[in-house]
Amino acid sequence: MYIRATGNISPQHTYGHPLFLPELVEYVDNRLSCIEPDYKGIIDAKQIRRMSRIIRMGVASALECLQEAGIDMPDAIITGTSYGCLEDTGIFLSRMIEYNEELLTPTSFIQSTHNTIGAQIGLLLQCNNYNNVFVHSGFSFESALLDGIMLLREKEASNVLIGAIDEITNISHSILNRMGLYKQNRISNKEIFKNKSKGSIAGEGATFFLLSNESSNTDYAKLIGLRTFYKPQKVEDIKKEILIFLEENTITLKEIDLIIIGKNGDEKLDRVYDCLQSEIFSQNVIINYKNLCGEYPTATAFALWLAVNIIKFGKIPKAIDYNGVSTSKIKNILIYNNYLNKHHSLLLLSECKN
Amino acid sequence: MDNLLLELKKQIIAQLNLQDIKPEDISDDLPLFAEGLGLDSIDALELIVLLQQYYKIKLTNADDGPKVFRTVKTMAEYIENHQTDK
Repeated sequence: MYIRATGNISPQHTYGHPLFLPELVEYVDNRLSCIEPDYKGIIDAKQIRRMSRIIRMGVASALECLQEAGIDMPDAIITGTSYGCLEDTGIFLSRMIEYNEELLTPTSFIQSTHNTIGAQIGLLLQCNNYNNVFVHSGFSFESALLDGIMLLREKEASNVLIGAIDEITNISHSILNRMGLYKQNRISNKEIFKNKSKGSIAGEGATFFLLSNESSNTDYAKLIGLRTFYKPQKVEDIKKEILIFLEENTITLKEIDLIIIGKNGDEKLDRVYDCLQSEIFSQNVIINYKNLCGEYPTATAFALWLAVNIIKFGKIPKAIDYNGVSTSKIKNILIYNNYLNKHHSLLLLSECKN
Repeated sequence: MDNLLLELKKQIIAQLNLQDIKPEDISDDLPLFAEGLGLDSIDALELIVLLQQYYKIKLTNADDGPKVFRTVKTMAEYIENHQTDK
């Protein structure tokens, strides 16, 4: 499958930025918030008034992706989100309590569903084609991607718009913080891999891709494979899954030029990655990405965006520290991510031979 | 009446999140729907909630909707009549 275009709103300068992550935007907090564009020139003023922050981010990112691909009407719109439109959900639920289950505002109710962003994109484009949303926790984006791949393989679509959207709100941040997901001390995102402590840093993002089953000669990268596995018992099982995945795609670890891993700074969760780094990945160049976007259930979409752009630009961006090994041309990239050590996923990309 | 009209305009702008619109942009007789302010059916529901929330008035007859929500002035008149009734 060919990746023809991307759109990304993240805590880094990714939206509409001609340079590829020239510097790391630093946050000294346990929460990274997206850098949003001015939506006035992107979304019609009449439509924007009902859109919450996450809807605006999703729609703008999708529109950027379509514009880059030169496609007005995708054959399918598939989104993945774990949290959905949390802000509107929070408003709706708060009002239920505040007004004793009366006087509920229709807008926040309508906009609080998980399929709102995909639906808004469809409405804006007047696109009545296949439109689906996957709400599968840490596999939400991977499931959307798998659905898109199947549509393309079965030739039910020749191009699909696939995206992942998740936001962190004050309410969700406070709840997840109490559950111990995030660091309790203020720490720079530049330091999260050095400072071993409990918890990660909260993140969010809206990332879209245009995938096609036909080469356009201007594609950025080729998506070769995708594999997910749930709650492996031990690291040995993860190693096995990785080796099976590579074998299925007729590639060896030696041929992988770069591995992007989902370390998030949590001392316990990162042990899995440390183990892989010192064993089967010991000869590979490895980079982290969650210091750029934070931890959230669909963060793999950011990793895919990063991988696509590394192949497109032919270099690892300045914002990323890596283990110093000089790399020749990066042709094959493996992404390995896990969300809370439950949802594990592998993605394989290669350069296009245009 | 003038105070009520101004108050109502401010509440409509806030409730419907009408960006870049000020109370003075909404004349008393400007149609709220279609060619006027361009509101739609979801906004109509929001206006029903607004009446209930700020003025404790429940619109019991749905057929009254188009008349009541025609302009800010018709809304204000409806509020005044129903508040006087109480």
